[in-house]
Amino acid sequence: MHEWPLLIFTITMQAAIGGIFMLWFFQLRNRNKETLNMFHLFKIPLIVIALLSLVGLGASFAHLGSPMNAMNTLRNIGSSWMSREILVTGLFIGLACVNAAWALYRKKISSWLLLVATLVGFVDVYCMAAIYSNSLIGPWNSIHTFLSFYGTTFILGAVLAVALLIPTLYKQKMELEAKQFLKIALITVLVGIGFHAIGIALFPATMVETSIIESTATAGVLSSYQGMIASRWVISVLGIALLGYLVLSSNKKYLVNLSFIALLIFVMSEGMSRYVFYVLGA
Amino acid sequence: MVQMGFYINSQLCTGCNACVVACKDKNDLDVGINFRRVYEHTEGGYGKSNQGITQNVQTFFTSISCNHCDEPKCMENCPTTAMYKREEDGVVVIDHDKCVGCRYCEWNCPYGAPQYNEELGKMTKCDTCLDLREAGEEPACVAACPMRAIEFGPIEELREKYGDTADVRGLPSSSITKPNLVINAHKDASK
Repeated sequence: MHEWPLLIFTITMQAAIGGIFMLWFFQLRNRNKETLNMFHLFKIPLIVIALLSLVGLGASFAHLGSPMNAMNTLRNIGSSWMSREILVTGLFIGLACVNAAWALYRKKISSWLLLVATLVGFVDVYCMAAIYSNSLIGPWNSIHTFLSFYGTTFILGAVLAVALLIPTLYKQKMELEAKQFLKIALITVLVGIGFHAIGIALFPATMVETSIIESTATAGVLSSYQGMIASRWVISVLGIALLGYLVLSSNKKYLVNLSFIALLIFVMSEGMSRYVFYVLGA
Repeated sequence: MVQMGFYINSQLCTGCNACVVACKDKNDLDVGINFRRVYEHTEGGYGKSNQGITQNVQTFFTSISCNHCDEPKCMENCPTTAMYKREEDGVVVIDHDKCVGCRYCEWNCPYGAPQYNEELGKMTKCDTCLDLREAGEEPACVAACPMRAIEFGPIEELREKYGDTADVRGLPSSSITKPNLVINAHKDASK
């Protein structure tokens, strides 16, 4: 496995995109609640999301053999999905930073900026998946790639937003809002898991036969990663159970710590899923 | 434009790898980088009978480099436009001033032609020995083949002489990139 930079890039970018989406959704649901100070609530999350997307940018450079030529990657927008992805990723990173800068400078949140960043982010996830599904690598050349990337976006976005918002909500005694948001996050995670599950169910039916000379058979590669695939699902189920506990529990003592543990659990499970994705092709 | 291409006579190829070695030597390629490769395709197996062990194993070899395709996926997907087709002879080459070393062409070439050079941080590949050809010589692989199983020339002429088969067992479908390749299939290799 030599695609670590790409693994870090896709995971961080998708977490950042999902995170922005969850923030936009939170402020949309609570826009009429005057007791909520969105600026105080979103300040740290927006900075973390901007930093996360910059980490993704750094990882994408680490993947390049000649990073000094990086600007050339925008020359083939007409036919290369990688060019398109790099353009849209750049736009998203710019918007993530603008959202954070706007909040810090104006001391308020722009719901429009959050919405634009979310939409650009979702297009970016499509472009990221299109790079792989348009390649000749059999296991990537499937709708599974799209479902897996959007699944990760929803899952990591939801748990990232939980870890970033819940502590502040509890500190500000906004327990009702915290509980409501935890419920939404749990549903979002389940939607993400559903995307993964549908992708895996369709995988054998939609995967194109290997078109590259002397490439390794998918079944053979998958069989040597059985343990990792099983662990990824066990960990995901644990994560869902933990989120469920957070939704139902009235014990406030460990809720903050547990929300960070939920984030770690899902970073681990999505990271493992992406690892298997890359060993299938690279 | 005259489109150049390769003819491979698989009936004659013994899998000696002289073409691979000549290419490595000419281009000073490190271990792991092979602009030309010989693929071995084996089918069949062994069985026990009253007469002892009988076998029906079939093996043949296909020597493949870049096929300078009519629709090169490497070029279509290269984000930098570093991969391009020369107007004068349709040979696919890489502009190292543009290449960023993202390796995306590797995922898009059915024949495994683009090869990553760690030291350069860029992609490299067969350029049909442009310098030798300018000096009036044959590409190194053609000159080195002891069986005279490789020819290089205008693809129209090669197709006129040898037909237009580019699909044999073990090779990806020619419909993906329309390679400028003609193969005289080994008797066991016909699709």
